[in-house]
Amino acid sequence: MRSLRLRLFAFLLALASVAALAVGGATYISVRGEADELFDYQLRQMALSLRDQGRIADDERAVLESAEFDYVVQVRSVDGVVLYSTVPAPVLPARAVLGFSTVQVNGAPWRIYAAATPLRIVQVGQPLAARRELATAAAVRSVLPIAVAAPIVGLAIWWLVGASLAPLARVVRALRERGVDALEPLPAQGLPSEVTPLIDGFNALLARLAAAFDAQRAFTADAAHELRSPLTALKLQAGLLRDARDDGERGEAVQRLQAGIERAHRLVEQLLALARAEPGGAAERAPVDLAHVARQAVADTAALAVSLGGRVDLEVPADAMVDGDADALRSLARNLVDNALKYGGTPPHVHIHVEREGNVAALVVDDAGAGIPEGERERVFDRFHRREPGRGTGSGLGLAIVRTVARAHGGSVQLSNSPLGGLRVEVRLPVV
Amino acid sequence: MRCLLVEDDEMIGESLRAALRRHGFAADWVRDGRAADAVLASERFDAVLLDLGLPHKGGLEVLKSLRARGDATPVIVLTARDATADKVAGLDAGADDYLVKPFELDELLARLRAVGRRASGRAEPALQVADLRLDPATREVSRAGRPVVLSAREFALLQALMERPGAILSRAQLEDRLYGWGEELESNAISVYVHQLRKKIGDDRLHTVRGVGYYVGEAKGQG
Repeated sequence: MRSLRLRLFAFLLALASVAALAVGGATYISVRGEADELFDYQLRQMALSLRDQGRIADDERAVLESAEFDYVVQVRSVDGVVLYSTVPAPVLPARAVLGFSTVQVNGAPWRIYAAATPLRIVQVGQPLAARRELATAAAVRSVLPIAVAAPIVGLAIWWLVGASLAPLARVVRALRERGVDALEPLPAQGLPSEVTPLIDGFNALLARLAAAFDAQRAFTADAAHELRSPLTALKLQAGLLRDARDDGERGEAVQRLQAGIERAHRLVEQLLALARAEPGGAAERAPVDLAHVARQAVADTAALAVSLGGRVDLEVPADAMVDGDADALRSLARNLVDNALKYGGTPPHVHIHVEREGNVAALVVDDAGAGIPEGERERVFDRFHRREPGRGTGSGLGLAIVRTVARAHGGSVQLSNSPLGGLRVEVRLPVV
Repeated sequence: MRCLLVEDDEMIGESLRAALRRHGFAADWVRDGRAADAVLASERFDAVLLDLGLPHKGGLEVLKSLRARGDATPVIVLTARDATADKVAGLDAGADDYLVKPFELDELLARLRAVGRRASGRAEPALQVADLRLDPATREVSRAGRPVVLSAREFALLQALMERPGAILSRAQLEDRLYGWGEELESNAISVYVHQLRKKIGDDRLHTVRGVGYYVGEAKGQG
């Protein structure tokens, strides 16, 4: 039974039934007990009075024999001969037990009191049915108010539950009617306090979803915007190739086009790396050696280092294991070294070291470039932020990726002045 | 036509300059708003290709200062901002045209020609002086219906002269129209091109005014 209303209703019905049974039963038992005591007392008084009277007066006899009188009185001699009976056919057993007894008479239980004198036995009996009727009537009277009240209370509950849940129906309607991407909070006013946590929880979820969607939309818009520059370059380069008049021009155009494709490729790769590092991007975690990550980054950027005539020092301890996504961390380290090479002086000098302090492993990249003024250090983490727009083919995503990856691993990134004279980037990650 | 290219993206700027030169435009290139301001204040261009997202000074600001100086040089805005509001802002700030990146090179060239046409007050795309005809779009030149094949420089020189028939252009003015900064230039380059042009289109259309310059017109002056 899923309906709250039906469930409450059925529960009330069962409760009323049990209560009625209990009250009725208790009344029946208590009334019967009282009736027993009372009637037993009467039986005994009657029997004793008849015994002591010796004989039954005529006016008494009329009363005893009237149809309204449901007692039976029998007087026998000690040898069992019926001397007197209020009913024509003697019904009380010949073998009388002195005092109280309950016996079957004509298939029905009777209560009998027998008193004896040396010559006679006086028996006064009464069918127990009379007492039961009395008890039943009392029980029915006691149950009656419950029986009358139950449907009224039921209707009241039916109405009350319906009225209490009406705001919920409003919420459902609001939910049904809203568009696919409507993420504004649901109306919570007028809701019973038991339901508000549900709606509050739901609204909190909606708010988080809206924030995530907004971030996603902004990311997509930014990405689309940023892709326009490499695409513009590609179109122009393709145009140059098409219009080339001789092999010299053609060769030059092809070279330009290749550089353009490389740039677009790099941007797409970086966008993908950033999207993967964002919370919610599926990533598998495994123990990763930060020293190995640093070595990989040096290898990944070796070609650039050679082409710039740069110097790269690497200093790693035995190991610094962190729990992480190996690909994301590799991308993080590569971006750091890449930046350090590009902006680390002419020719660039880059120093990379990995260290471990307690529960924290740090990847530190120093360069000998111009550094970044303190006021700009927060902005460089914004995606697509370029300190020198137009220079080179940077995507403006490097440090955004670094920070996103570090945060996704429960770590942090700090920029400071390097002992080499340029920028120091320090990525701190919790160790396994 | 001499164009100023204002673009901060190294790759786009370089390719665009190469493409413009390849199509007979003299193209100069600056990379930021301040440099654009300085160049526009001191030199004359037939058209400006202006990016909006520039360092130091935004493209719209450059455009506004240009118009504030009363300079009517045609400006085509090239930008990745494609919202209608951006286009309206660009055009209202004084742009003559608006192209959203990524654009087709051919479309940019066509718009440049259209801007040049409007600037010289012509509706007809082709230039015509007597029986000499030059079509900037198709880059075809004909004399009395017979096609004449010209090099890019020869074409650019003839176009510069035919845009204002009868007006005398000095050698310096012609050099400006034909060459961007840093392009190698022989001191007698213009007279060499004039000589070659006369051989191809006949010497009765292209006239020399000694010590002043050159003009295109009906056969009336000395050859």
